[in-house]
Amino acid sequence: MMTRYHAICPLHPSGGGLGWGGHSACDTVTSGKIPLPASPRNGGRGHTALAAILTLTLLATPTAAEELLGADFAELRGEVSVETILFPEGPLFAGQDHNSLSFAFEPTGTLEWNDVEVLGGADITASIRPFLRIDTADEERTHFDLREAKLDLRFGNTDVTIGNDIVFWGKTEIDQIVDIVNQVDAVEGTDGEDKLGQPMVAIRRILEFGDFSGQASVFYFPYFRERTFLGEESRFRSGLLVDGDDARYETGAEEWTPSFAARLAGFYGDFDVGFHAYHGLSRDPAFEVSSATLIGGQIVPTSLRPVYGRITQVGFDGQYTSGATLWKAEAIGRFDQRNLAFEEEDYVAAIAGVEHTLYGIGGTNFDLGLIAEYAYDSRGDEALTPFQNDAVIGARLALNDAQDTSALLTAAIDTETAETALRLEGERRLGDSFKLSIVGQTFLNTDDASFLDDLRDDHSLRLTLSAFW
Amino acid sequence: MDERIDQTKKTGWAAFIVRTRWLWVVLGLALTVGMGMGLGKLGFNPDARVFFAEENPDRVALDAFEAEFAKDDNLILVMNAKEGGLFEPEILSAIGDLTEKAWLLPHVRRVDSLTNFQHTYATGDEMIVRDLVPDPANITAEDAAEAREIALTRPELVHSLIDPDARFGAMQVMFRLPGKNPETEVPMIVEETQALAAEFRAAHPDIELRLTGSVMINNQFAESGQDDAGSLTPLMFGAILLIILIAFRSLLGMLMTVLVIAMSAVIGLGALGWSGVPLNSVTVLAPLIIMTLAVASVVHMLASVRQTMVETPDRREWARVALDEHGGEIAVACITTAIGFLALNFSISPPFRQLGNIVAVGILGALFLTLTFLPALIAILPMKRRTALAATDRIMLPIAEFVIGWRKPLLIGMSAIVILFASGIPKLALEDDFVRYFDERYEFRRDSDYFERNLGGMNIMEYALPAGRSDGINDPAYLASVKDFTEWLRDQPEITHVRSMTDVIQRLNMNMHADDPAMMKLPENEMAAAQFLFLYELSLGYGMDLTDQINVDRSAMRISASMAEATTSDMLALDAKAQAWLADNAPDIAIAPTGMSQVFNLIAYRDVRAMLSGTVLALVAISFLILLILRDVKLGLISLIPNLIPAAMAFGIWGYSVGAVTLAIAVVIAMTLGIVVDDTVHFLSKYKEGKRLGMTPEDAVRHSFSKVGMALFVTTFALVAGFAILSTSGFAVNGDMAKLTALTISLALVADFLLLPALLITIDRRDTMTASLKTAPAAIAALLGLGMLAAPSPASAQSAEAKGLSIVQEAERRDLGWGDFTNDGEMILRDSRGNETRRVWRGMNLERPATAGEGDWSVIVFSAPRDISGTATLTQAKIEPADDDQWLYLPAVKRVKRISSSNRTGKFVGSEFSFEDLGSQEVEDNTYKWLRDEACPGGTGLTCHVVEGYPKNARSGYSKRVSWVDTTNYNQHKTEFYNRRGDLEKTLTATGYQQYVGKYWRPSRLDMQNVQTGKSTTLMQSNYNFGTGMSEGDFNAQRLPRLSR
Repeated sequence: MMTRYHAICPLHPSGGGLGWGGHSACDTVTSGKIPLPASPRNGGRGHTALAAILTLTLLATPTAAEELLGADFAELRGEVSVETILFPEGPLFAGQDHNSLSFAFEPTGTLEWNDVEVLGGADITASIRPFLRIDTADEERTHFDLREAKLDLRFGNTDVTIGNDIVFWGKTEIDQIVDIVNQVDAVEGTDGEDKLGQPMVAIRRILEFGDFSGQASVFYFPYFRERTFLGEESRFRSGLLVDGDDARYETGAEEWTPSFAARLAGFYGDFDVGFHAYHGLSRDPAFEVSSATLIGGQIVPTSLRPVYGRITQVGFDGQYTSGATLWKAEAIGRFDQRNLAFEEEDYVAAIAGVEHTLYGIGGTNFDLGLIAEYAYDSRGDEALTPFQNDAVIGARLALNDAQDTSALLTAAIDTETAETALRLEGERRLGDSFKLSIVGQTFLNTDDASFLDDLRDDHSLRLTLSAFW
Repeated sequence: MDERIDQTKKTGWAAFIVRTRWLWVVLGLALTVGMGMGLGKLGFNPDARVFFAEENPDRVALDAFEAEFAKDDNLILVMNAKEGGLFEPEILSAIGDLTEKAWLLPHVRRVDSLTNFQHTYATGDEMIVRDLVPDPANITAEDAAEAREIALTRPELVHSLIDPDARFGAMQVMFRLPGKNPETEVPMIVEETQALAAEFRAAHPDIELRLTGSVMINNQFAESGQDDAGSLTPLMFGAILLIILIAFRSLLGMLMTVLVIAMSAVIGLGALGWSGVPLNSVTVLAPLIIMTLAVASVVHMLASVRQTMVETPDRREWARVALDEHGGEIAVACITTAIGFLALNFSISPPFRQLGNIVAVGILGALFLTLTFLPALIAILPMKRRTALAATDRIMLPIAEFVIGWRKPLLIGMSAIVILFASGIPKLALEDDFVRYFDERYEFRRDSDYFERNLGGMNIMEYALPAGRSDGINDPAYLASVKDFTEWLRDQPEITHVRSMTDVIQRLNMNMHADDPAMMKLPENEMAAAQFLFLYELSLGYGMDLTDQINVDRSAMRISASMAEATTSDMLALDAKAQAWLADNAPDIAIAPTGMSQVFNLIAYRDVRAMLSGTVLALVAISFLILLILRDVKLGLISLIPNLIPAAMAFGIWGYSVGAVTLAIAVVIAMTLGIVVDDTVHFLSKYKEGKRLGMTPEDAVRHSFSKVGMALFVTTFALVAGFAILSTSGFAVNGDMAKLTALTISLALVADFLLLPALLITIDRRDTMTASLKTAPAAIAALLGLGMLAAPSPASAQSAEAKGLSIVQEAERRDLGWGDFTNDGEMILRDSRGNETRRVWRGMNLERPATAGEGDWSVIVFSAPRDISGTATLTQAKIEPADDDQWLYLPAVKRVKRISSSNRTGKFVGSEFSFEDLGSQEVEDNTYKWLRDEACPGGTGLTCHVVEGYPKNARSGYSKRVSWVDTTNYNQHKTEFYNRRGDLEKTLTATGYQQYVGKYWRPSRLDMQNVQTGKSTTLMQSNYNFGTGMSEGDFNAQRLPRLSR
């Protein structure tokens, strides 16, 4: 009855791996572009810079910085972690490794100068937060990023940021459709919460209108960050590989295409609201076939490339806080985004839900948060996101102990296909400077035609041990 | 298709269960044993009052009444002198003897009998009060005749202790139950009374003796509960076994069924045991209900096995296919059933709440066992294979063909029947009479009926008529009103007897006037009435006092109106008349009646209203679940029809056939809803599966019938059989509930087999596009549109305890104007073994002008432990009871999140400081009381005011705080925190006060010691920096990332 589409179907490389796509008429993908030969990998990019920055960061100890640079405050802290992902079942695709071991290093350096006279008494903060991941199996996962490398200048109620930064917008839990500033670092996790640092100039000003209190911001993004994609050796990937370095742009300036955004965010009584507008390159790529072979006289694609085009987006995010109950909603309208079928389509998407916390359950000090959300995307099966018509329920348990033990269990259920992604996150501090995190994921009832079907054997347990200093 | 099956064979959940089957057998048994250990803790509460929740307003009124007068736990001994009247010397002496012996029963408070009736008369100027029969042992025939003459003229006695022909007599024994051990107190009284009665009957075979009264009722609640559990359980098991045996012809199948259902019942009942709540006459049914419901799940599995075994001999494949194809539907069915039962928590009557919870736990236990333990057993045990389709499967297809062929007549006919039946609903009458809760099979009921037919009424309306002031009952105007009301009540035909002190007072007036019959009226002045009563009370025999008639400060008098064989509506109608009479004739003494009967009269009425919201909520939750599993709005809407009409039809049929219904009716809809949806879910999901496979509506209906028809039939049969057995209970509450449930479930099968398929085909034919509705916009609108809470108005600080308030205000005044400051904080958390954990942060604080009507603002940025470094909170405090506005900044994802601050009592980062301890404390948050002045703790040489503060917010974790505030600088040196129960929980000591900018004192060290757990937390604050020039813009939520550093 149902053809196994995924043999020729692209995955959803959105990074929001908690869900799946629907049935897609993905044969239209091939009609988008003629197959092109794969371009050579752009390996080794930035590795020299990485070494230099790391050395610099390590040398610039706080005391030295305070003395040498005359700073009022200096701090160097960071995190190293070792991570392994265990898969009870064998890999589905050729080339995938059984299990995974990797290391991450993320130091943060901060310098502060207060009342700098040459800048009219502004406070300045310089921060740098490089990130390095070394994966023993997947070359694509071994990567470096400058999460932050920026100067923050504060003039009274106005802030100016110049450099790489990460900016979070949104209110809902399962996904933040309004969050468009930073590109997803899709090789890091499956939940899309890891982001790449975005070069920007941002000007923000505190605003008070009567009882409304908030901040208005304008952003200029001179450079575009491409999404990262897992390589052949990794699990959690589709059968068809996406070569992120082979990206194609639909603008002449390519990654130097400027993008702009404006946002107003604040609160009025128990309502927290945010409005934004964005114009520039979409962080969500569409996909076209980049190579193919002939099998039995038929063209069968062998790899995909991401395609980035210019879009315009407006959106709203809001939260109403009523005692222990938080009502949340986000909605966007986006124009000129290419969809899964590689057609430009204007669409709307929304997520709404509620989070209710039960404090001190059963006379203990434990808090239990109950989450229910619903995600909608008007593109339906053509959506680039797995959350097009999905219900999510979850529970967050915080033990409120000295070790800050907490756990989050979520179930994302596609209301059409009943595909279910279960995810359990737990963490606990060990001693003063170590932390153990686990993420368990399983995919039930995967639909033949969906992206998640490629992950059907990737039930996994991710164990991370981090040390902080 | 083949490839797909291979895939699930290898990876599916079902395959996993089958592969690890032994694990699940062990886990299932372990769970049962673990929960089963709670069984040992089960007790039984026989009190009829378990039906009344503490918060039931009628119960509150009854408790208040009983506190003022007396709690009438009574026993009534009904006697009938078979030949001749009661007033024969030997009979009177027997009664006298029994009266003496009754005084020896346990917990006895008072005995009222013919012989010790307090008779008054005058001898010259003297008033004599004596027993009616002073010496029963040596009574003569003349004395007996005289006593008869007196007795028959006394309104206190006639229709109460004797009938007008003096043939039937009664003795009333009142008890004061200590209530310490409800399980044994009542049975002990009953046992000793029955021994006494047996002895009496043996000695006086010519006198018939029967027992009734509230003690007997309570005893009956216990007995019939145990009766139901004891006699119905074997019946139930037998019926279930028979059904399974006939349907599947497999002994092993039967064994597995018995195991699973018994284990489920153990889990449900064990949970009750662990919770420490005793059983009662309703909850004893819980295991039977659990077993009945669990059978349904088991049957679905076994039916699938029966179908698969035709195709393959591989037992593991039977288990896997059963789980794979039916596991989801079984889960939904069990969860909806559990939701329906959980909705019983809305009931006003605690036994139903408990029943709902036990059954819900049992059902979820059954679900777990059905999805793990049962398939494991199927894969392990050598069940015999059969290769022909079961007979029941073969009869399903003809039914399908019938429904498809006769679709239109069925649709019209069924609609007509539904309307016809449902039209009987208005005929339902709520009828709660605790005597008639028990049917005639019980001796108690027969004896009570006997009493009501021949003597008096068991249902009593109690009116505690208020006189408006202390000693007001002697006021002639009041007494006249009471007398008029008494006489009006006696004129009502439905009333058998009215007990009123005005009878006694009138007689006393006559006695005091030398027994002049013309003076048989109320005294003319207050003084006389008071004196007569006083004289009378002094002369009364032991235990015969008036405290149960007149309250202690003599501001109210009690009128007890008895009614025999009265229904709830009779009683409510009578009270309506009484209230109208009182309003017209004596508005000053108007009061609502109380008494056990009255509470029962209103319980169903109240429960129907309470359960309405529970039922609606269950309907919404269950419908949402159905939508989730069907993923089809149209089918979801259609499913409402077969889910709701069975209950409507069942109620209507009941209305036409029986009419009267007990409070059980209120819970039936919610209960059955969860059960009947199971059939609908199974049918519709198979129908949808058929449609997805490209079938026509007709073929999809055939598909549904062939896949689940047999299972639905067998489960319904099993459920109806189970509830039919329960319906034989002699306890009407349980019986009615079971009858209505059985009726509803049978009608549900009719609706699912005859109406639903016809409906589906008709609708799907009309609209073959099958475009599903887009639910999203509506869902989002509903979520956003949900109501907002009105902000509570600010409380004005007004306290009688002016000194306490002024001290706190002075402390506040001295600390005004600090503007802003930053500081460094460090917390050292110590557990009871002395292990330490540290938290370090920077704090920023901004004073808000008092005129803003808000508290101060603060930001905390953590720097240790390192993994939460940079985590920041912003708090904009409000005056209690409004919640503070609070935001949290999580540096790992750079997210600012508004968080709820309604949690006052939770512990801050696991320390001994709760959120409210650390929150900004405003003067207006508490009321205060100055206790004393004394030397400050800690040997500083200062004098301290000791002030108690009482939080205004009910959500505070404290009942009070006691603070030591010194008289010099108004610094707090010590605070004791008393928890909600009033026990000392924590002690806070503040040391190292330093003065900043020449004015503001701040402690450098705070030690919070939890005296209950032995844990402590030290909070050190240093590096205070006042006047840093921060402004409101620095405390903007959007700026938290910037402040986080």
